[in-house]
Amino acid sequence: MSCILTLTRAPYESQAAKESLDVALVLAAFEQNPGILFIDDGVLQLLPTSNHPSPAKHIGKIISALEMYDINELWVEQESLQQLGLTVEQLSQPVKLILRKDVASLLAKFDQHLVF
Amino acid sequence: MAGFLYMSDLMFKTLSYAVLVRCGPGDLARSLSAIEFVQELLAQGHGLERVFFYQQGVLCASNLRVVPQGEVDITALWQTLAQEHGIELGVCIAGALHNGIVDAQEAERYELDHSNLALGFSLVGLGQLAAASADCDRLVSFGAGV
Repeated sequence: MSCILTLTRAPYESQAAKESLDVALVLAAFEQNPGILFIDDGVLQLLPTSNHPSPAKHIGKIISALEMYDINELWVEQESLQQLGLTVEQLSQPVKLILRKDVASLLAKFDQHLVF
Repeated sequence: MAGFLYMSDLMFKTLSYAVLVRCGPGDLARSLSAIEFVQELLAQGHGLERVFFYQQGVLCASNLRVVPQGEVDITALWQTLAQEHGIELGVCIAGALHNGIVDAQEAERYELDHSNLALGFSLVGLGQLAAASADCDRLVSFGAGV
């Protein structure tokens, strides 16, 4: 089974971002390396947060662990990135940009799709 | 027409499902969707690997919630399903602990006064979700936060 996770939540608004990344890591540990698509506020998870603002667990540390878990397929929706006024150079990880109109065909390549 | 229906019955293929519940019991419509979906897939003869409770879904596993008379008890509905069909109700242990839901073993480990995991539910690792998603034909998620 191949799985893609769509992450839509800002890193520290709730537990949701951490919970979704935990699912990604566990899937990888079970050798079902998931793809991850960041849209809307989910893109903010990819900002390097050297002074991370919250007493919550540092999301940036989990994000940087993705590569170690062989989760290398990271997509960012271009329109979401623009809406947040960000450029791909500002993100902490190498990502592939995808246009909103191409998202459906990306998702169709996977057996399973979970939205967080 | 009758012949056509008969043929489609013959072609009926059963699938194995895994169900992920991510909404709390207060999220009534979504919770009932999950329960009715499971009832229906079992009624149609499909298999169910596991129901996995994650995020707010872990709150379904508390036996300390009191449901006002005349309202639906989501926990009891899951328990009935588990009892009648022997299905597994796995609750993410990290999420459960985070939300104050513990079984006797965890209560002892963390020296808590009480345990409150409802009968029929069990605390399991997130790996059980990954295993179920790998083994099933269809993974269906209910109550994604918006």
